Amino acid sequence: MKPPLHQPTSVAEACELLDTLEETMVYGGGTAIQILIKQGVLFAGNLVDLSRVPGLAEIEETAEGLRVGPMTTLRRMETSEVVRRRVPLAAQTYGHVANPRVRNTASVGGNIAHGDYRLDPPTALLVLGARVELTSVRGTRAVPIRDFFVDFQVTAVEPGELITALHIPAAPAGNSSTFVKMSSLGENDWPAASVAAQVDVERRTLRLGLGALAHVPRYVEVPLDGRGVDAAVAAATAAVEPELDPIPDVRGSADYKRKLGLVATEDAVRRAWEEAR
Amino acid sequence: MTQTTPEPGVDTGVGSRRSRVGAAGKVRGQLRHVADRPHGGCAHVAVHRSTRPHARITSVDVSEAAALDGVEAVVTGAALYKVLGDRMFTGPAFSDQPPLAVDRVRYVGEPVVAVLARDVATAREAAELVYVEYEDLEPIYDVADALAERAFVHDALRPSVVFGDLRHLSGKTETNIAYEYNLKLGDPESAATQGTSVGFEFWAPPVHHVAIELPATIGWVDADRLELYSTTQTPSYVRQSVADMLGLPLSHVRIRVAPLGGSFGAKMYDRLEPLIAALAWLYRREVRMVASREEAFLLTTRHGAGVISSMSADADGNLTSATADVRYDTGAYADVGPRITAKSGMIAAGPYKIPNVAIRSRCIYTNKPSAGPFRGFGVPQVTWSHETLIDELARARGEDPAAFRRRNLLREGDESYMGTVMHSADFVGCLDAVTEAIGWDTPLDRGSGRWRRGRGVAVGIKAVLTPTVANAVLQLNQDGSATLMISTVDMGQGSDTIMPQIVAEVLSMDAERIRVVAVDTDVTPYDTITAGSRSTYHTGNAVRGVAERMRERLLDLAAKRAGGSSKDLKLTADGVLNTASGEVYRVSELIHEHFGARGATMTEEFNYTTSWQPYDKETGRSAKATEHWFAGAVAVQLLVDRWTGRARVEHLAVAGDVGRAINPALVEQQLAGSAIMGLGHALFDELVFDQGQMLNGTLLDYQLPSVKDLPGKLTPIIIESPHASGPFGAKGVGETGIIPIAPAVANAVRDAVGVRITRLPLSPERVLQAMDEAGVEK
Repeated sequence: MKPPLHQPTSVAEACELLDTLEETMVYGGGTAIQILIKQGVLFAGNLVDLSRVPGLAEIEETAEGLRVGPMTTLRRMETSEVVRRRVPLAAQTYGHVANPRVRNTASVGGNIAHGDYRLDPPTALLVLGARVELTSVRGTRAVPIRDFFVDFQVTAVEPGELITALHIPAAPAGNSSTFVKMSSLGENDWPAASVAAQVDVERRTLRLGLGALAHVPRYVEVPLDGRGVDAAVAAATAAVEPELDPIPDVRGSADYKRKLGLVATEDAVRRAWEEAR
Repeated sequence: MTQTTPEPGVDTGVGSRRSRVGAAGKVRGQLRHVADRPHGGCAHVAVHRSTRPHARITSVDVSEAAALDGVEAVVTGAALYKVLGDRMFTGPAFSDQPPLAVDRVRYVGEPVVAVLARDVATAREAAELVYVEYEDLEPIYDVADALAERAFVHDALRPSVVFGDLRHLSGKTETNIAYEYNLKLGDPESAATQGTSVGFEFWAPPVHHVAIELPATIGWVDADRLELYSTTQTPSYVRQSVADMLGLPLSHVRIRVAPLGGSFGAKMYDRLEPLIAALAWLYRREVRMVASREEAFLLTTRHGAGVISSMSADADGNLTSATADVRYDTGAYADVGPRITAKSGMIAAGPYKIPNVAIRSRCIYTNKPSAGPFRGFGVPQVTWSHETLIDELARARGEDPAAFRRRNLLREGDESYMGTVMHSADFVGCLDAVTEAIGWDTPLDRGSGRWRRGRGVAVGIKAVLTPTVANAVLQLNQDGSATLMISTVDMGQGSDTIMPQIVAEVLSMDAERIRVVAVDTDVTPYDTITAGSRSTYHTGNAVRGVAERMRERLLDLAAKRAGGSSKDLKLTADGVLNTASGEVYRVSELIHEHFGARGATMTEEFNYTTSWQPYDKETGRSAKATEHWFAGAVAVQLLVDRWTGRARVEHLAVAGDVGRAINPALVEQQLAGSAIMGLGHALFDELVFDQGQMLNGTLLDYQLPSVKDLPGKLTPIIIESPHASGPFGAKGVGETGIIPIAPAVANAVRDAVGVRITRLPLSPERVLQAMDEAGVEK
């Protein structure tokens, strides 16, 4: 059975609904929720649809980088000029999600709120150090993305809270980054390993975001000692390896996914390094 | 009377690349499929499914479901049995499958109770409110369990009345083997002791068809007649099956079909039709069921098959012997598994000259969803075996795999080890065409470091279903247009496009003026099935025959007009030309004058039936096991990523001998389409079961090739070795391309990284594991 759909027209009204209704779930683009409804495994008493709340689908350029409204589609993150200019890693990564039909519907807020361990965007957001703005009747707070993914499909969003923005800092000049996604079966399948990588030459740091390689997206920071790309790859894979705890399924054993994770790490580091030169 | 010089228009006859009929409607969503029928006022059907692989039903509680608002009826298998008795068990080879389980469930997902309700959501909700208690029986998860014979899926075998050669199996108990085929020629055991031999154990997993259009059946009773509107490739079969089940004369069962949105064998024989027919008949109500995607996965699968086989050659490189022990996992119900077992078993050693052969092919029941027809009809599974063996045998001899095959391939006029002579099956031509296309004899840059390159080739053979029956009725309209009545279902293969081309060729007409009537058993004549690539040859011959009769009739009318003799008359695009006088009699005028009416119609019919010689009881051989052969070959060049195990196909060439291409564009599309489908089966497509439970039966998890998985280059090649009795020399091509794909890919992987893999699919993990086990350096 489909739960009732509520359509507030302001953030305040949405927060009220989330505060007063039982077993609420926020409805963004609906690409994840519709599948759960079809499978009969959606456990929600009320859906709060944000599509009629004005102003939630805007991308603003800020001094720091971008402020992205939660109802912005993944497709806009992929194609928007300002996203490509200020955070090219984000644009690249959002462009790898599923297929254009899904990207035209799925929302930035819903994507991270879903909290699936295999999603592509969290890998880039972890590397970029994004912050999630959460609003409720109690007020507004910001949670660093690196603290956002708490457990298997569990995020830092608390009951009654709504994602009202994503702040994505632009990477400082001179940095380079890339996103690598590897599937184990069909190319267009969910990833079996994905890695976003950023080489920060200034701070001699390598930042890595790992997707599908543990029950939550993982962030790894690796100091660079300036001995060249092979040393960077060795340091990166050594740092990543203990973080790998993949879930075995029809897409492969944990052992195989671990191997893919290391290959994806190496590929990502080499490509980012290449760009940095 | 007008005298004109025939002007060459756009040729739409045999050999033209006429564009597909109805393509624009499909692309724009305007073409109406079965499920698009308006459904105001009908009852929607949902089923409650078994959660156990093998169990006795001890109680069924439907009270909550029946009490739900909007529910009209809740029906159990036991209730259906009270009305229909043993007639409720149907199937093309064995009468073993009930529309709802009676007393016992045999796979997870088997329908147990049906609900009729005012809408789909209510029906599905009520189905969840049915409570069934079970007493578990020992489950038979796979072929090994089945052959251990500790438990049995069926208490006794129940062959259907359709196939006389299965009669001896009737009532047989304590077996899970529905059917066994054996072929014996010479003495393969002693032959194998000389020269070089290779042997392996192979596995090809079950896969699913995943046609875009979901199965749908709508049934109602109209004036004491049962009517079904259904997604089926087998309307003539369904009519008989439903008539038998309900005890009705054929005249009181009407089956209609709309063009299918793909099928590949999924929509054949008994799917939703028996249940919907029974419910419509019992409740005198229009009932409707459209399978969900998840339900479609449970309706039918391709047989998983194990093959234990060997092949030997002498010092000169001539094949001396081959053996194969083939085990088809047919699931809980036999469906057409026994036919698959024999038809595929008889060619399990491939299209080669081999003097000593032993084949044992078995159709085996297990507690899984029933397996049935799938593009290739069991042949890809045995081709996976023989095309791996011959490749490895060539390597063991240090010989080029293409040259080794070429020496041993059957040629025109050769009698195969299974007893039938080869005609219009140019294996050598196909092999040469694909190897040349990928540059087989040119130097290969084997790559370095992470990426390694390899090439592989494979050939395929398949017999067309024989004996079968085809009929065609042609109505020539007074205005010179025509209406063609056949029971071939267009499911994307293009029969509505090419059948008019055959008529157009015979009658010198424009194919655009010929319409194929949508299949309706009240109107369109009996046709065995639309499957097994048989329609171009069989129905095509019926269509050519009926068009020729129509031509004779037109010439007779013209002869009357010309004063008696038809000697100087010739049918042309403008009408009947009197070559003596130069006069042209227009078709519209001839028919108008004959009947004295505008809009009159002139009708002819033609039957085309093929015959066979049953397999010899001792040897399994037959001098005519099949009406004709399909011959194909595939060559592949690919790269293997030695770090991840992933293979990337750079170039795939696929050739098929089609006798004569009625429409070369559609033939190329069939070859390319089957190559892409086959590539999925080679690389990642697989239904995964755990203790009888299907783990990946959703499109979230089930793998299909996407545009990103396509080969860098795909070259379809038409080979034409005309068949003496094919319509204009033509044969079908629906399956030819898919048959040799998997071994061609595996042979290329073997060439690239040196590992021989005998279990499909060649997933990156499996390739990497094989490389690890073989100690291949990365």
